[in-house]
Amino acid sequence: MPNPVLLHKTGPQVMQELQACIGCNECLLACPALAEPITIDRLNHETLSGPISGPVARFARACYQCGACVPPCPVGLHRDAMMMWLKVRLLRSGGE
Amino acid sequence: MMENERAVVPIGHQMGMPQLDRADILIIGNGIAGLTAAIEARRLAPDKRIVIITEQIHPTINTPALKQFAIGKLEREQLLAYPAGTERAERIHVVNAHVAEIHANSKYIKTSNNYGFGYDKLLIATGSAPQGLPEGTPGRNFDGVCTLHRLQDYLDLRRRLTEVSDAVVIGGGVHAIETVMGLLYWGIRVHWLIRGATFMSRVLDETASEIVLEHVRNNGCKVYTNTEVVGVVGRIGAVAGVITNHKEMIPCQLVLTCTGTNPVMTLADHCTLPLKKERGIIVDDQLRTSVPDIFAAGDVAALKNPLTGKYEPRALWYAAVAQARVAAASMTGHDDLANQSFGVQWHATHLGELSMLTVGSPLETGPNIMTLTDTSQGGYRRMAIIDDRLIGYLALGSAQPDSLAIKQIIDEGHPIRDITKELLKGSFDARRYLSQRHTYMAQAMLTGKLPSLPTGKPTGKLPAPALPAPMTTSARTSQVRSQPLPAVSMPTENRFGVSAPMPAQPAASMPIQAQRDTDALNPWRVERRTDTLMANPAISLSQGPTRQTDAIDRMQTQIPLAPVPVPASSLLEEDEEISPFTGSLPALPRQVVESTLEPVPVYRDAAQSAPTASGRNLWSYSGKQAVVRRERQTRQEENSAEKVERHPSHNLWSYVRKG
Repeated sequence: MPNPVLLHKTGPQVMQELQACIGCNECLLACPALAEPITIDRLNHETLSGPISGPVARFARACYQCGACVPPCPVGLHRDAMMMWLKVRLLRSGGE
Repeated sequence: MMENERAVVPIGHQMGMPQLDRADILIIGNGIAGLTAAIEARRLAPDKRIVIITEQIHPTINTPALKQFAIGKLEREQLLAYPAGTERAERIHVVNAHVAEIHANSKYIKTSNNYGFGYDKLLIATGSAPQGLPEGTPGRNFDGVCTLHRLQDYLDLRRRLTEVSDAVVIGGGVHAIETVMGLLYWGIRVHWLIRGATFMSRVLDETASEIVLEHVRNNGCKVYTNTEVVGVVGRIGAVAGVITNHKEMIPCQLVLTCTGTNPVMTLADHCTLPLKKERGIIVDDQLRTSVPDIFAAGDVAALKNPLTGKYEPRALWYAAVAQARVAAASMTGHDDLANQSFGVQWHATHLGELSMLTVGSPLETGPNIMTLTDTSQGGYRRMAIIDDRLIGYLALGSAQPDSLAIKQIIDEGHPIRDITKELLKGSFDARRYLSQRHTYMAQAMLTGKLPSLPTGKPTGKLPAPALPAPMTTSARTSQVRSQPLPAVSMPTENRFGVSAPMPAQPAASMPIQAQRDTDALNPWRVERRTDTLMANPAISLSQGPTRQTDAIDRMQTQIPLAPVPVPASSLLEEDEEISPFTGSLPALPRQVVESTLEPVPVYRDAAQSAPTASGRNLWSYSGKQAVVRRERQTRQEENSAEKVERHPSHNLWSYVRKG
């Protein structure tokens, strides 16, 4: 049976991963979709709450969930799941 | 107990001080624990006056990322832990001063420049300081004998690198090996001195240690085990070499001591009431110290290790963040949030191309502990199991397992009989497992079948075993956590009645939101609930069937609530409550999905650079492979070409220079 709900991690899990992020930027260095300089602090901050700035919103749209950010993470976190959450927030805040 | 009367602070009269100020919440230290606590406290208590007193002259940085800073992958601006200006935006006052003493009776602190600060709640988050070479070691003050701990140390290291050809690294821990890899990246000959016979003897077994050491040797490092430094030789005050206990001299221009850190506890000695301390300031699970209204978090706080019963600090990034959040909840009187279990320790890192993960205590041995090891696929994995429950996991290999998911399995005491093999072989797909588990749970609860679930499914209803050590602590915390539940059972019944018939109307969701606020704040709420139900059979058994059905009602009411669309959203706000059973991702409008993801040929580099992607089902989101547009792709290729030039290895976290 194909499994349709492997999209993401749940909110608490994503929240936990954001807290565990050590800010080494490895995921952003590996990202093929990142076109402008974004720092990890801003990305984490805006994934969590608050308004989403222009560069981060453009990055969220450019992200195509290739998963290249996952293997380089030294602490084994899932930036793709966090990006998914950012996209959801972007859609909900009417950013489209 | 939090409602102590505010003490009057008569210091102006008493000591003739020129200035006096006060804060509701006073935090000493602006490391990650201090700032996280301040931000969390601001979120929980919007009106309190929050002040951070620090000696650090730069904003809070991601200290683990200093390793990347050392090898030039990051610039200083990229180290910030929170965006610049966060303190001001959150109305957190930062004062640059040295705190000299704490007057706990009258509740104020005094800085070294005679500035008084009254407080209502005080958080000590002074962090730790590196040990360095032992006192009395000849030559320990020579120029070139350094520790790596703060930003200044790494700036100093980068300045020295050009004049170093040989370096000695002392220490047998994670910090030491990461330093070794960083120096190797710069092409420096590294001599690594380890006091014991193996690397990280308390966390890794011999096999794992040998794999790691072999990996380091292959990268060009010379490893000396059972070796200590007895003295440093210098020439005109600068390092020329070290002398080991084997009467051998190793010439070098740089000595880096990575022998661990000590909590900075001088304030504990300058407190008018005795602050209990051992190896760190002793705190309970709510981060309260032995003195009322004084809390401690981060590297300086010594929590009880649930396994050994000893109080010891956990000098880890994630532990500091988690403790800071709990401390903030305690300080603002949110006892429901403060009753959060920290769970077992975990540590994950990449050492070049080798990734290392330890969760819990994989080396634990005993009569009822089963140990499994596996060396297939070039890696090494070791599991310690008690009665179908994982208590420790150790993995070395090319791919990093989902560390937090494994921690969750240990913390919540999931039965692992169905996943033992995957865990052992390193092919465990945590996302799939947890997602399926939640689906089973939700189905069972919706159909009212939860108490009589068929065995064999990975669900929560378990025979209550003789609880092993890690479970007892979680049982204790859950007991505490379950206490507030009966108080809010009334509103949840209402909520069920209101929300079920009209789940899609925003107007109806207004009173529901209000009631939900009384319950607790996310994201711990969901965890607490699942914990009460699944992870802890002892609780539900002891409290009988009524307790359980009440909890199930609460679960059911949660489900129709989740899809209600809400305009503004964040992971932090109550609106954003996520049910682990529904996932609560809204259905995306079709045109939006298509405009965001355009199906075009696969981007080759991405597929190649992510060898584990297929195993983790990362592409299973959409069923189709979605990539950016062609012209963008070429632009990206240019970008990545530049990147390769800047970082020769391109495989990130491999410090070793190739070619």
